[in-house]
Amino acid sequence: MSSEADAEDGEVYSLNMGPQHPSMHGVLRLVLDLRGEEVIRAKPVIGYSHRAHEKMAENRNTLQFLPNTSRIDYLSGMIYNLGYCQAIEKLLDIDVPERAIYIRVIANELNRIASHLLWFGTFLLDLGGITPFLYSFDDREEILDILDQVTGSRLTYCYGRFGGVTWDVDATFLARTTAFLARIRERLHMYKQLVTDNIILRERCIGVGVISTELAKSYGVTGPSLRASGIAYDVRVAEPYGGYDRFDFEVPVLHEGDTMARFHIRIREIEESCKIIEQAIEAIPEGDILPKKMPKRFKLPEGESYFAVESARGHFGMYIVGDGSDIPVKLKLRTPSFSNLSAMPETLAGTMLADTIAIVGSIDVVMPEIDR
Amino acid sequence: MSCGLTQAIEQLASSSQTSDYGKTGIHHQHVATLETVLQVAAAFLDGGYILEMLTCQDRREKDERMRLCYTFNSLESVDRHLVHVDLAGGLETEEFAAPTMSALAGGANWQEREVFDMYGVTFTGHPELERLLLPEDSDFFPLRKDFGRIEDAENEENEDADE
Repeated sequence: MSSEADAEDGEVYSLNMGPQHPSMHGVLRLVLDLRGEEVIRAKPVIGYSHRAHEKMAENRNTLQFLPNTSRIDYLSGMIYNLGYCQAIEKLLDIDVPERAIYIRVIANELNRIASHLLWFGTFLLDLGGITPFLYSFDDREEILDILDQVTGSRLTYCYGRFGGVTWDVDATFLARTTAFLARIRERLHMYKQLVTDNIILRERCIGVGVISTELAKSYGVTGPSLRASGIAYDVRVAEPYGGYDRFDFEVPVLHEGDTMARFHIRIREIEESCKIIEQAIEAIPEGDILPKKMPKRFKLPEGESYFAVESARGHFGMYIVGDGSDIPVKLKLRTPSFSNLSAMPETLAGTMLADTIAIVGSIDVVMPEIDR
Repeated sequence: MSCGLTQAIEQLASSSQTSDYGKTGIHHQHVATLETVLQVAAAFLDGGYILEMLTCQDRREKDERMRLCYTFNSLESVDRHLVHVDLAGGLETEEFAAPTMSALAGGANWQEREVFDMYGVTFTGHPELERLLLPEDSDFFPLRKDFGRIEDAENEENEDADE
């Protein structure tokens, strides 16, 4: 070793960020090797909230696993819960009544908006802005109340049933949802003026933490983070499920790949979700919410299958192996934040320490979903 | 999917078959070997596909195999390929090894670590093959079928407590 390299090594020191750091979302630990304020290496350490969901899936029948699904990602639990129902329905050829399809779409999109609003608030909180957090949580609370009224839970919904949903929605639910759409649109206008156009936010986000298209593809980054890097991939459009092909909505795409682009994409996705909900409320028919005839046991056919849905964070895939019984031989949960976070070491290398907060916040990680 | 890529994959794979996408969500299934799996992966990745998922199945009780399952998908038009790689070995076999894909696709790094963590399959040439989700000093592989059921372990504990 040359003395020069030794001297250089001496300047590098390690900093442990998390798992209890206030700006780390949940229990994520980042080991950062720093030279001054520059990040040389970043190593995420995960697994603190591992609950063995995949092992549990092999230990209970398909119906018993249903409550687990919304605990995978507690911020968009509805999407995971209904996504799992849709996978089992496809495998067992169960037809979902029309009314249930529309209820599911409304519930899914409300949950997506709630998840994006929480991200909006906490991301800005990480960057030092406390006020938007209070506003966005106020908006989100309204969604939680609306969903609470029909599902009975605030976060870990178990609203889906194979073939439909548990409870029917009433006129109050639809009226409250419509009122909420008007409210959030007004708020989004205010958020744009006060937050998106804010010079301090822009300075901290533009050009920071660029994920190139190649990097995103190499790591399997999906969701808003991928769409901010120039690829219009959304499972709702690519592999339409649950009636999404009936709605007219756009998949926002930006090409910069930086933190600001990811910020814009999520805000625009809230608008698109509003559009979907509006159409669904207009078209929702009367009728049953569960099929008349249902099998007693939900036996998985022999063979392998893979189903995906678009969660608030990206491509959530379920790889199911059945052997004719109602207990899966294998259920792999391919969660989006896992792949998104795995791209972080490469993205963070060479950035400044203060930007680390903005970059990790901008990919919207939810640790329980990564650790499963 | 371009014809060139289909042909290249079918030539490399030991066997290929079409799958019913409407029922299973998978378009094609292939079987590769330890020797050809990296070439298959390279063909997919060069063709613009992504490594969507990597996992493993413990089939040692059934047909003496540990089976790696890769899915490759295109982001432009959905075209999902499931690739199996069988690692021979019965219930007594503890060691399984496969070549790493992490130099080809960055995402394989963590996914292979997870398979190592849960199934104990070693990926030769992997840059940092350490435990990912479980504590670093764990000495078990929980998703292996002979690890047992969670309920059994819990019941035993409860029985011990009752006594």
